[in-house]
Amino acid sequence: MTGSCKVLICRNYKGDVDMAEIDRFLPLLMQHEEEGLLCPVLSHGKVHFMWIKHSNLYLVSTTNKNSNASLVYSFLYKIVEVFTEYFKELEEESIQDNFVVVYELLDELMDFGFPQTTDSKILQEYITQEGAKLEVGKSKVPTTVTNAVSWRSEGIKYKKNEVFIDVIESINVLVNANGSVMSSDIVGSIKLKTMLSGMPELRLGLNDRVLFGLTGRDKGKTVVMEDVKFHQCVRLSRFDSDRTISFIPPDGESELMSYRINTHVKPLIWIESVIEKFSHSRVEIMVKAKGQFKKQSVANNVEVRVPVPSDADSPKFKTSTGQAKYVPEKNMVVWTIKSFPGGKEFLMRAHFGLPSVENNELEGKPPVTVKFEIPYFTVSGIQVRYMKIIEKSGYQALPWVRYITQSGDYQLRTNV
Amino acid sequence: MPYLGSEDTVRELRRHLSNPNVQSDPLRYRSSILKVIRAMSQGVDVAGLFSEMVKACATVDIVQKKLVYVFLCSYATLNPELSLLVINTLRKDCQDPNPMVRSLALRNMVNLRLPSLAEYVEQPLSAGLRDRAACVRRVAVLGWAKLHNLQPASEIDAAVVNELYGLLRDPDPVVMVNCLRALEEILKEEGGMAINKPITHHLLNRLGQLDVWGQCEVLRVLQRYRPQSESELFDILSLLDASLVSPHPPVMAATLSLFLVLCPDLPAVSFAALERVRGPLLAACGSASRETRFTALCHIQLLLRSLPGLMGAHYKRFFCGYAEPAYIKQRKMQVLVELVNDDNVAMLLDELRGYCTDVNADTAQAAISAIGERAATSHTRCTDPVTSHSAATDRCPPLSSAVVQTMRDLVWVCPQCSDTVCSALEGCEETLQDSQGRQALLWLLAVHGERVRSAPYTLEGFIDGVRGEASPGVKMELLTTTMRLFVCRPAETQDMLGRLLHHCIEEETDMCVRDQALLYYRLLRCGMEETRRVLGGRRSEPSLGVLIGRPAEPISQWASSFNTLEPLKQGAGETETTGRASPQHVTFDLDSDLSDTLNSGGFSFSPAGVQAPPLTLSLSPALSPEEFERLWTQRRLDYVCLEERIRCPAVPHCSPQSLQAAMQLVNIQTLAFTAAHASPWRVYLYTHAQQAAQEEVKVTLKQRPRDEKALQGFLSILTAVLHTLPFNTH
Repeated sequence: MTGSCKVLICRNYKGDVDMAEIDRFLPLLMQHEEEGLLCPVLSHGKVHFMWIKHSNLYLVSTTNKNSNASLVYSFLYKIVEVFTEYFKELEEESIQDNFVVVYELLDELMDFGFPQTTDSKILQEYITQEGAKLEVGKSKVPTTVTNAVSWRSEGIKYKKNEVFIDVIESINVLVNANGSVMSSDIVGSIKLKTMLSGMPELRLGLNDRVLFGLTGRDKGKTVVMEDVKFHQCVRLSRFDSDRTISFIPPDGESELMSYRINTHVKPLIWIESVIEKFSHSRVEIMVKAKGQFKKQSVANNVEVRVPVPSDADSPKFKTSTGQAKYVPEKNMVVWTIKSFPGGKEFLMRAHFGLPSVENNELEGKPPVTVKFEIPYFTVSGIQVRYMKIIEKSGYQALPWVRYITQSGDYQLRTNV
Repeated sequence: MPYLGSEDTVRELRRHLSNPNVQSDPLRYRSSILKVIRAMSQGVDVAGLFSEMVKACATVDIVQKKLVYVFLCSYATLNPELSLLVINTLRKDCQDPNPMVRSLALRNMVNLRLPSLAEYVEQPLSAGLRDRAACVRRVAVLGWAKLHNLQPASEIDAAVVNELYGLLRDPDPVVMVNCLRALEEILKEEGGMAINKPITHHLLNRLGQLDVWGQCEVLRVLQRYRPQSESELFDILSLLDASLVSPHPPVMAATLSLFLVLCPDLPAVSFAALERVRGPLLAACGSASRETRFTALCHIQLLLRSLPGLMGAHYKRFFCGYAEPAYIKQRKMQVLVELVNDDNVAMLLDELRGYCTDVNADTAQAAISAIGERAATSHTRCTDPVTSHSAATDRCPPLSSAVVQTMRDLVWVCPQCSDTVCSALEGCEETLQDSQGRQALLWLLAVHGERVRSAPYTLEGFIDGVRGEASPGVKMELLTTTMRLFVCRPAETQDMLGRLLHHCIEEETDMCVRDQALLYYRLLRCGMEETRRVLGGRRSEPSLGVLIGRPAEPISQWASSFNTLEPLKQGAGETETTGRASPQHVTFDLDSDLSDTLNSGGFSFSPAGVQAPPLTLSLSPALSPEEFERLWTQRRLDYVCLEERIRCPAVPHCSPQSLQAAMQLVNIQTLAFTAAHASPWRVYLYTHAQQAAQEEVKVTLKQRPRDEKALQGFLSILTAVLHTLPFNTH
């Protein structure tokens, strides 16, 4: 459905819920939103609507049973994932422009209320965007539908065989107004971009510290990872027995593994902020940013977003480095620092005027948020030791590794 | 375009479709069909084009076929006769060498949802079950389920059912899972498919090959299996161990659910499983999707009902982020409240305090009442944040109202903090917007009026504005408050009481308010002593309020609803009832003491040597205190009343909490207590009710309908419980 709840496309898989029920969704949604009780499940009589919102679209599933909620949500997100892979952006226009493919996909994703083929790699084999071209009787059965290796088709060829490995870690930090770290964790993932011919067999070696942590054998100096997910191509039995990560990679881009580390990390960029609000006259903001990481590393594209009252005006800035800009539509000052070496400290001062008539609207206390990216560095210390590529034809292939640490949900609460 | 020119659109489209030139050019033909489907998804009624579209179905172009099928399936029920024409094409397609075409035809044949076509469909479906291509088998298997759904009355051939059982061993995992789904659907009347030992073990062994959806399906079906021996049970459990910590929340939840169902008699195993899923559950709480987070939170709430200590050390994971939606914040707060212990109380309160200034008024209110709830059960220092916020949040009316209501609840349960509250009341003169808040404020003034210096002034403000007051509840509360204040501070209040009574008796239109005013007026005429005696009534007792420290529930209580939609709905309702309603304050002392009426209705029953007959009590449906009171006071013929004396020296020594915990174990709901040292000490119980005296317990029971066997059973359970009570716990 569109943002205004106009039904864009619908499928009734089971026929046990009346199609007209969906008309009740919008009033329900509005009513709950007004009461501030919005919730991902809404009910009207016997029918439950479970919905998610993606950009400006609502994806709503209806059921009249006491169904498995977590499964329904994961399916809706799966749909979003598949559609996004097909159309790059999932939005009203892309649905309208591609409604043929959407109908085809909906057909394959689910039948009679049961999820069927949901792997977008497989789907892309036989439902193509080039549907517009005419291919009479040519459509063949994709081998992958019955293949043993369902995520990779046979007969892929590249001139130059390469694998790109990205190790990306993002840090979530929540810091209290008085400067104590309330919670912090690291969410990491290893992404692959595979450009290899044939059916290669890959083996990935990680440093011991991490591997031991993965299996939880040694509690000493290891990193304890939780919530480790592997792509379905990884042979889990191998990993369990001798801790090697071996797999036949899917072609193109994929996420090989993801993990979460829930430790106390020192916030890489530390922010001290003093926001002084003099009612009816002005707001003075002083922000100090400190890079708490190795001197050799450099954080790129650092953005410190400082909240200001919505009725502030006439901004004045002074920065020791970088640029500060007032973004009135978001009620914040964005201080951008292109490169921020470790161990350095920078300062920004801002001055705003306040109208003499006080704003009666209640405002929350938005936190200071920070965005940054530190290349060639991982917080957890995870490292790729080797990547072995073995293929029948015996070609030589090059692995490339890149490390990036970036900010995730990085919030520092303010005292105003 | 949608509805306006729809007739023109249809006419135009028809012209295109039936134009022979268009038909001979495949590309143009297809684009016309595209236009039809586009119009259809835009809400134009294109049912009139049915016959043209039926013709378009005979093509070699797969995409065109799919589009036409989408159209046909949407409108087939409107044109059953014309649909018969399609069936021939479909049946021909079922013979096509291309498996994609075969599966497509088979799927849409059933999707037409026409019972009249059933006879044509059965044969291709049977053939489909034996097809070489897995994708055709997948469709065929589900096709049988759809067919059954279409005509639930007709029997599906036993041979087909057997074949479906056989296909459980199909090499293709999706075919296997679809078989499970189909059999469940077809055999719904018989309680689903038969799950025996070979099937179970086969399914478990193939679990690894399935995708997330398939795994969930298998795990759900297996819930009906009962292992024959303990060793088999443990074999199964160890096989499932890997998926218990699966990174996919649905699989993890389904496995846990299976664990809980499989071993209801082995609480140790269930608890171990819960410990094991803690990590994945917490991970789900931090997942990127809000809805998954929400679902995980709801389920954690469920788990905490049985295992309050489960998440204790991880309370920080439930701190709210600034941009999280209100429904998640409120759930997180509910969880946080459960997690408070002596070590983290300061930190948690600080955190909750931060939420009190949330932009969303509901969230802020929830935070305030969360603090109040905490204060009621553990620490008096919790009052400080509440009171300090009353000043800070004056700007926002709904907030200060919430603060006042929380303070009222708080004072009632822990009288020791009344000093703090009183000092906070001094400053609270802002007009409260909603009647709930005003009532709470009045109540506070009534109870602690003598200690709040500014009480008469606040009251005067209320009385001056009584004409504009809409809520009768507030007016009645105002009457009572003025009366009580008059009793303790007559000089300051006499004049305004007179004005108020005059207004209420002469001008008030609401009968209840007027009656109450008249009652007070007559009471005053009886003299000051009498008035004081009546109004002085009950003071709060620590044990009468919110029951402290909910005892852990057995897992079986919620195991069946785990991993369904229910927990998501449940919690929302809970917040509404526990959040704002506080029945114990609303009823006031003037009605004659309830218990007097209670005693009169009972008759005696000899206790001699009751054996324990097999009687099981259940808590559901739970009863609200009001409902209970209504039932209790209403004396009807179909009730059995009896009184029973049970010797139980432990009762006077034990605290209400431990008694309640003990009762909960045998599913007796404790509704209210009287004061700890009052004599006779009474406890109101649901399932039945009981009344206790020193050294021996007198039980008054009411039951409907009459069943002496059940009564005796209940008594023996009660006796057993009372005897297990520890001495001197109070």
